[in-house]
Amino acid sequence: MDLDFLQSLERERVLEVLQRDKQLRLMEEDRIRRMKCELQELRRRGAKSCARQYGERTCARCQRPLGKFWNSGDVCRGCSHRICSKCRVGVGAADWKCTVCHAYRDVKIRSGEWFLEEKFKKFPVTENKYETVGETLLKTYNVLSHISVVPPTPPPHLDQQFLSRSGSLKNSIPFTKSVEDLMVSFTSHMRKISTSQSDVQGGLLYVDGGRKGSCVTFSSQKSLSDTDINKSSRLFKVPSLPNLFKRSKDSDHEGSSTGAEEETSFSSEYSGGKRGSNSSICTDGGRFESIGVAGELELALAYSGDASCLEITVGACRNLSHGDARRRRCHPYVKFYVLPEKSGKMKTTVKKNTTDPVYNEVLKYQIERHLLFGKRLHASVWHSGTLRRKVFLGEILIPLDGWRCEDKASQCFNWYPLCPKAEGPDGGAAEQD
Amino acid sequence: MTDGDYDYLIKLLALGDSGVGKTTFLYRYTDNKFNPKFITTVGIDFREKRVVYTASNTNGTTTGKTFKVHLQLWDTAGQERFRSLTTAFFRDAMGFLLMFDLTSQQSFLNVRNWMSQLQANAYCENPDIVLVGNKADLADQREVQEKQAKELADKYGIPYFETSAATGAEVDKSVITLLDLVMKRMEQCVDKPPAEPANGNGATKLSEAQPNEKKCAC
Repeated sequence: MDLDFLQSLERERVLEVLQRDKQLRLMEEDRIRRMKCELQELRRRGAKSCARQYGERTCARCQRPLGKFWNSGDVCRGCSHRICSKCRVGVGAADWKCTVCHAYRDVKIRSGEWFLEEKFKKFPVTENKYETVGETLLKTYNVLSHISVVPPTPPPHLDQQFLSRSGSLKNSIPFTKSVEDLMVSFTSHMRKISTSQSDVQGGLLYVDGGRKGSCVTFSSQKSLSDTDINKSSRLFKVPSLPNLFKRSKDSDHEGSSTGAEEETSFSSEYSGGKRGSNSSICTDGGRFESIGVAGELELALAYSGDASCLEITVGACRNLSHGDARRRRCHPYVKFYVLPEKSGKMKTTVKKNTTDPVYNEVLKYQIERHLLFGKRLHASVWHSGTLRRKVFLGEILIPLDGWRCEDKASQCFNWYPLCPKAEGPDGGAAEQD
Repeated sequence: MTDGDYDYLIKLLALGDSGVGKTTFLYRYTDNKFNPKFITTVGIDFREKRVVYTASNTNGTTTGKTFKVHLQLWDTAGQERFRSLTTAFFRDAMGFLLMFDLTSQQSFLNVRNWMSQLQANAYCENPDIVLVGNKADLADQREVQEKQAKELADKYGIPYFETSAATGAEVDKSVITLLDLVMKRMEQCVDKPPAEPANGNGATKLSEAQPNEKKCAC
């Protein structure tokens, strides 16, 4: 899709409309972010925790004990947790959901997530399913249009860099090839800034609103430098595996050890673990069926200083591959390790017959805060098949160093796209290293 | 208008031949004004409106719950030369106002083409659509009979309205009907069992639509 067939005036006109659309989109993104933060709050309050010793007979939301015969609770069809009668929302005795599942559904509707999912079913090729046609066009043509050279009022701390840069651009009007290149890199750069700039605006808007249950990420971003903003915008947008590595390297230089060292020690540990017999990653390594890795995993990480443990809140997965492709079945669960030691194996419950499981479970890993440095969280999604056969559905790696555990509110839920196994199906790169 | 204090952002899109009155229709809806001048839309445009939506149950009774809805109403150029651009925007809209001119038989005949454009480019095979016959006030120039249009709408299983951007008749009602359809669709999408394969559903819808097209061609 391009606008090349339009005359320049027409193109300008269309880009103006798209700019207007962008303003609306930014407002919408801010609204959605706020909504998701509220949902996370609710989840945190009502999440089933594995660390606490309690049996089946408590309500997973209010943690009130459930009786054997009277007020015995019932299983929520959304999250398969046992829920007391007070923590249910919905009409009728049969058609109800627990408070968290209901809120999740509500957010899915109000954020337009339903629409993106439907659209994704028909047009699965789109690189970024959140991106609209207008957004794509605008990005492409920002390079050519002079509208883009005057960005909508940058925040104060960016002023100097910004003006000097755009100033130099204006001076270099003769359109040589090199200038064009510069322009391209500039706009891509500017795009990054403007995404995070929108966050800042969002934050300001938010503060004005004076609401509670806050989302302090924005205000903290205001004090960041230019490159930091790029970094954090990347964090927001694409936490895919390569980027996570890059990010961890970026943040590593604050500390003593370098990213390269980390990498090798991690991979040797990893392959070492492969030899061990107690690891199910390795036992499955040779046997896992080659199914396409798809979908995303929603996680929120928090460090609880009081209990000195890492709290991993597993929200949900979506659009997973079918573990049993032939019968279109999927009973997914999520497993965690902390690397490089490969310690603290943790698992969620298994959800039956769904490629969009909702967990809402908190897993806790006891560790002193300073020991988090250099650690990575390895999360993998598995299908629990018949006869204990497991099928690998995808994994993610999250560096735990450089990750600021202090500001509680930044630990919103994030969707991480699942990646194929880091080491190839038969040993592969990680082992050779 | 610029604050994010709303519950839903609903994106609707108006499409149809050039000159059927999409822009004036939307102008009437958002600003309650009429501009009789014909200014051809360049590619795309949009207008916004905040409305209060009252939720109703499946049996039609209102539950009393009200929501603030921010409507983004995309206006598309009807002219052929913008076609590649306008159809690309179809996929980001949640509901469609398919418009034709009651005083132009040709614009009505083209409704079929627009329908197939929608099936190909919209976010799903059977999106929510409302058929709108505009310029109902020009009774003496009328070329399309209500019965004719109603039959076509019934074949597609979509609501039909005869509107007038000049007088404002039925304009609000047609948009609200579409909004209602989209709101119901949202609930269905979220509540339906996820096991249902996406493509199977679409294929049946398409094969249903084809015989209809044959019928209305004669």
